[in-house]
Amino acid sequence: MREQVVCKKSDIEPGEMKKSTFGKQDVLICRTPDGEFYAFMNQCIHQGAPLDRGMICGATTEESEPGGYEYCHKGEIIRCPWHGREFDIKNEGRMLANPDKKIPSFKVRVEDEDVIVYK
Amino acid sequence: MTKNKISLVDTDIHERVQYRDIVDRLDEPFRHYIENCHWIQEKHMPYTQPSVAGVDRADAILPDGRPAGSDLGFMQEQLLDEIGHEFGILTSALDPSPSSMHGWHEMAAALATAYNDWQIENWLDKDERLYGSVHIAAQDRDEAVKEIERVGSHPKMVQVLLPIDDIMWGEPYYHPIFEAAEKHNLMIGMHHNEPPVYYGKWPRYFIEWHTLIPTAHMKQITSMMFNGVFEKFPNLGLMMIEGGFTFIPHLMWKMDQQFRDLRHEVPWLKRKPSQIMKEQVRFTTQPAEELTKKEFMSLLEQMGTDEMLCFSTDYPHWDYDSPHRALPNMDPELKRKIFSENAKNFYPKLPNPEEG
Repeated sequence: MREQVVCKKSDIEPGEMKKSTFGKQDVLICRTPDGEFYAFMNQCIHQGAPLDRGMICGATTEESEPGGYEYCHKGEIIRCPWHGREFDIKNEGRMLANPDKKIPSFKVRVEDEDVIVYK
Repeated sequence: MTKNKISLVDTDIHERVQYRDIVDRLDEPFRHYIENCHWIQEKHMPYTQPSVAGVDRADAILPDGRPAGSDLGFMQEQLLDEIGHEFGILTSALDPSPSSMHGWHEMAAALATAYNDWQIENWLDKDERLYGSVHIAAQDRDEAVKEIERVGSHPKMVQVLLPIDDIMWGEPYYHPIFEAAEKHNLMIGMHHNEPPVYYGKWPRYFIEWHTLIPTAHMKQITSMMFNGVFEKFPNLGLMMIEGGFTFIPHLMWKMDQQFRDLRHEVPWLKRKPSQIMKEQVRFTTQPAEELTKKEFMSLLEQMGTDEMLCFSTDYPHWDYDSPHRALPNMDPELKRKIFSENAKNFYPKLPNPEEG
C-alpha cells in the first residue's frame, strides 16, 4: 500500500483525533489546532494500548519550576489511554519523558477534501 | 493478539461495585445511611489522577458510562476472552473496601458481608474462570473471623483479602484471622489501600505515593515474618498484590542479615526469613518495571527461585500490565511458571491437574 485516503478533512476538527486504517495497519490521524494533519501507528510503543482511546490534549512543560505548572501545546499531545504516556504530535511523535522514543509515523498530505496517508 | 494465547492465571483483577449494587443486601440501619444520608467512605486520594481516566484504563470505561470493571460481559470481552485467561482472581478495589475503613466497624462488617454475597452471585457463579477474595472488616477481628467462617468454604473463594493501610497484620491480636483462613484452605492476599506509604498521610504528589507502594508491602511482610505468623500457620501463604517485585532480593537479604544478628529477639523463627519467603510468600508482578531480559533473569537469580512471581494485569486500572508486553521474553518453561503454575501451586483451591 503506497497511499490511501484515510478520511475527509471535515471528519476531524482541529484539536481532535480519529482512528483509521492504512492497508492492514491501524493508524491514528491527528489534527492539531493549526489545522495540520498527522498520522501515527495507533498503538502505544510501551504496551500496545490503542491510542485513539486516549486523548489529545496539552501538557505541562519542562519550563515549569517546582510548585508551579506551565501548561501549553494544547491539542498537540497524545496521551495513552492506559499509562498516560505523552507523545508530541509536532515533534515526530516523540515521548515527552524520553524523546529518544517515538511512535512510528506516516506521511500525510491533503488534496481538496481528502486526507491521504502515504509512504 | 488472539493468535498468541498463553496459559494465564491473572492474580489481580479488579471488579467494581457501586453502592447501589449492594444496598439491597444491607440490613437497616446501614441501608438507610447509604440511601438517605448519602454515606460514603471517608478516605480518598487528594490527587487529580495522573492519567487519562483517573485510576482506570480509558478504554475500560463502559460505553454507557458505567465505571470500568463494573460489568462482567464487558470484562469477558475486553480481558478474559481477548487474552484467553485460564483463571482470574478477583480482588475488588475502592468502595467499598471495608477493611480499610477507619472507625464504624459495624458498617464495615455489614459491607463485607454484602460484598461477598454480591461477588459470589454476580461474578464467581457466572464465569467459571473467575475466583474470589473474601472481604472482611479485619479491624473488628471477631466479626472478621465470623465472615471467613460464613463464606470461606465457598469452592471459588481462594484467599482472604487484607488491606495494606495503617494496621500491621503480624500483630498477634489478629492471628485468629489467619487461623480461620488456614482452616478453610484460604491464602492471605494483601493489597494496598489508601494511604499506606507515608505515615498514614499522603505525600504531596501521586508520583511519590506510587513510587513508594513497595515500602508499604515490605513493612507488612516484615511484620508477618518476625511476629511468627508463617511459623505459627505453616499452611498459610501470603500473596502480596500490586507492589511489583524488584524489591524482593533486597528484603530477603536484609531480613536474613538482621536474623543472623538479632535472632535472639524472635526465637520462634525456625527458618531463615528468605527461606520462609520462598516457601510461603508470593508476589503479583504488576506494576512491572521495564526490565531487560538480562536484568529480569539477574533478579530471579538474586531471589534464588523462579517460583515467587505470579503474573497479574491489574485490569481495569490505568497501570494495567499486558501479558504480551509487560515482561521480557523468557523461555517457555519459565513463562509457564510465572504466568500460570506458580499461582496454581500457591492457591490450594485453584484447579491444578498437574498436582494430581
